[in-house]
Amino acid sequence: MKRLLALLFLLSLLTVSCGKKHDGIELQLWNFGDLPALIEWVRSRVDSFQAAHPGVRVVQSEKSWNMIRELLYANLTSGTGPDVMNVHANYAAEFGGAGFFTPINTFEDFEEVKSLFEPGLMESTRHGNNYYGLPCSGIAFTLVCNADLFDAEGIAPPRTWSQFREAARRLTKDTNGDGKTDQWGLVLLGADRGSFSYRFAPFLFKAGQDILTDDLTKVAFNTPRGVEALRLFVDMHQVDHSITPGFLAYHHSEVNDLFCSNKVAMSIEGPWFRTIVDQKSPGKKFYTVPVPVPDHMIALYDSLPTLQDMMMYSISAFTKHPQESWELMKSMRTLEADMDWITKDLGGIATTTGALYSPEAERKEDLALYRRELRFARPWPPHPGIISIANNVITPWVQRAIVGELSPEEAMAGAAAEAQQILDGKK
Amino acid sequence: MKRATPYLLLLPALIFTVFVLAYPLIQNLFNSFYQVSLVRGTGGWIGLENYEKVFRDSEFWLAFRNTAVYAVAGTVLALVVGLAFALLLNLKLGRITTVFNVIYTIPWVISPVVAGFTWKWLLNDNFGIINHWLISLGLIHEEITWLGNPDTALLCVAIARLWQFYPFAMVMFLAGLQAIPEEQYEAAAVDGASMFQKFYNITLPNLQSVSAVLLLLGILWSFNDFNMVFVMTRGGPMNASMVLPVLVREYSFVFFDLGKGSALSVIIFALLVSLSFLYLKALSRREPA
Repeated sequence: MKRLLALLFLLSLLTVSCGKKHDGIELQLWNFGDLPALIEWVRSRVDSFQAAHPGVRVVQSEKSWNMIRELLYANLTSGTGPDVMNVHANYAAEFGGAGFFTPINTFEDFEEVKSLFEPGLMESTRHGNNYYGLPCSGIAFTLVCNADLFDAEGIAPPRTWSQFREAARRLTKDTNGDGKTDQWGLVLLGADRGSFSYRFAPFLFKAGQDILTDDLTKVAFNTPRGVEALRLFVDMHQVDHSITPGFLAYHHSEVNDLFCSNKVAMSIEGPWFRTIVDQKSPGKKFYTVPVPVPDHMIALYDSLPTLQDMMMYSISAFTKHPQESWELMKSMRTLEADMDWITKDLGGIATTTGALYSPEAERKEDLALYRRELRFARPWPPHPGIISIANNVITPWVQRAIVGELSPEEAMAGAAAEAQQILDGKK
Repeated sequence: MKRATPYLLLLPALIFTVFVLAYPLIQNLFNSFYQVSLVRGTGGWIGLENYEKVFRDSEFWLAFRNTAVYAVAGTVLALVVGLAFALLLNLKLGRITTVFNVIYTIPWVISPVVAGFTWKWLLNDNFGIINHWLISLGLIHEEITWLGNPDTALLCVAIARLWQFYPFAMVMFLAGLQAIPEEQYEAAAVDGASMFQKFYNITLPNLQSVSAVLLLLGILWSFNDFNMVFVMTRGGPMNASMVLPVLVREYSFVFFDLGKGSALSVIIFALLVSLSFLYLKALSRREPA
């Protein structure tokens, strides 16, 4: 027995002595996102940071977007997790407001760093008087139109809701004459609650509709304008049958496959879509245009807002090395680093003014459109409960209306009542 | 020292069991009586409020009904299919039997996540092979949106579950069939019993205990099955295929209400323990002393 214990003791000593220990500071960097090019980009930035800061070791971990909230809540509520991470900008309200992120305006050179970024995008990282991140990868939701199908039909990408509905109707057809529809006007991403609400919200915004009141205390989307936005989809699905019938089961992969195989003509997407299409169907052409607006608002076509989304780099409130984390974060968001978002396909667009208006940016496909859309685009309202409202309230109620379980009025009223409960802290 | 040695040797296993089994169970039970929200933080003791919230939630009752259908119907059908294949394999046709034995067992050894994704693509409305076959055979005219239709989503997941569980039932039934004494069939043949009579009066009674174990295991496993449903539908569309284990995740990691999620876990646990107890008790009464 003594021998056995002695052997175990020796083995444990050996294990401990073999472990590699870093004498300097160690920072944990969580990279959310599955795009290989993005992972490689982060790695290259980390390498150059470490070369410039030999006393700091950065441990990069790849995490899935699908688990982002679960992982952050599980770790940050227990005071663990990364020092630096990339997250949705609307987490500034939810996580920043809850005290899980470090307010970066407390750093001495913050104002200087802030001036690098597009003001509207920088504002998306603010909650109350504090800023909780540096912008990265701007996204404006737009309409993508399958060029093969639009050109074959001889129609232009739609600008108004009636043109949108008409285009979807004309592009829904039986292409091989077997008596059944095999091409649809529009595909919706219905199986992912978050993604679905991100595709409905641009239509609310384009209708001049707010989600919440300015003081963030009341629900604002249950109005005739909001109902009309929903009715557009209801009519397209139930009257025109121009939305893919199986949309409730679709994730990104199904939507991408349908678009690339010319089975659908339109989808609501963002800047990442070109990378995906290029990978799946190299050379395939599509038109990227603003999300259509209500007919009577066509005069405001160029300035009505769409939904803005964005990532930001944030620092955990529990980091033991705030200054080093800030240095790491800044190194990820220099002008030089942001130029990679112009020259490479990293799923979003640049966020620094220098990169966005650089000569290289002028040559980037669709960038002028995204730049303009982002100038007017609005993020989800900065309320801590907004993600829950978007994913768990708006999506299920809107879907029930689209499939005909409820009228648009009933659905919007139900969603508004449930969302108000969240705002009032009752749910 | 000699007397203590066995206990010392058992200690690592005991510590392991306590940490991976007892501790989470007890902590979960505690959580169910507290306000534990990742969003609002941990509050104090709230008694049975979490349980009340669960029972007042219409989603719970929908998930409960779906789970019962998924578990009972899926298991019973898997047993029927498993028995049918076991009877075929019991014909003992030489090497062919061995080959089919291996082939039929494949679904069982595939990871539920892989199986879920495979079924999801098989059932895809536009690119899935099932719609293609059904159209080719003239059985349907238009593609069916299997997983996008609230009326068919749960059925599809149950079929996928059946596909995964029947090999286990088949192997167990096959073992049971091979244990039936040949003399019983010979005696029945002498008495002029038909094939159906032999099956009904000899085969089925001899498989009773195997069937009971399979039914219990099948229902328990299906009741707890998270992977297949989550991968194929995530409980959708519009909660049409929501089952209790997926709802636990919804409560805990979508709404971040760990107290409510824990309460539901305890309810599922209590339900399954009671079910197992009642079933085994009923079974023991029926068995001769």
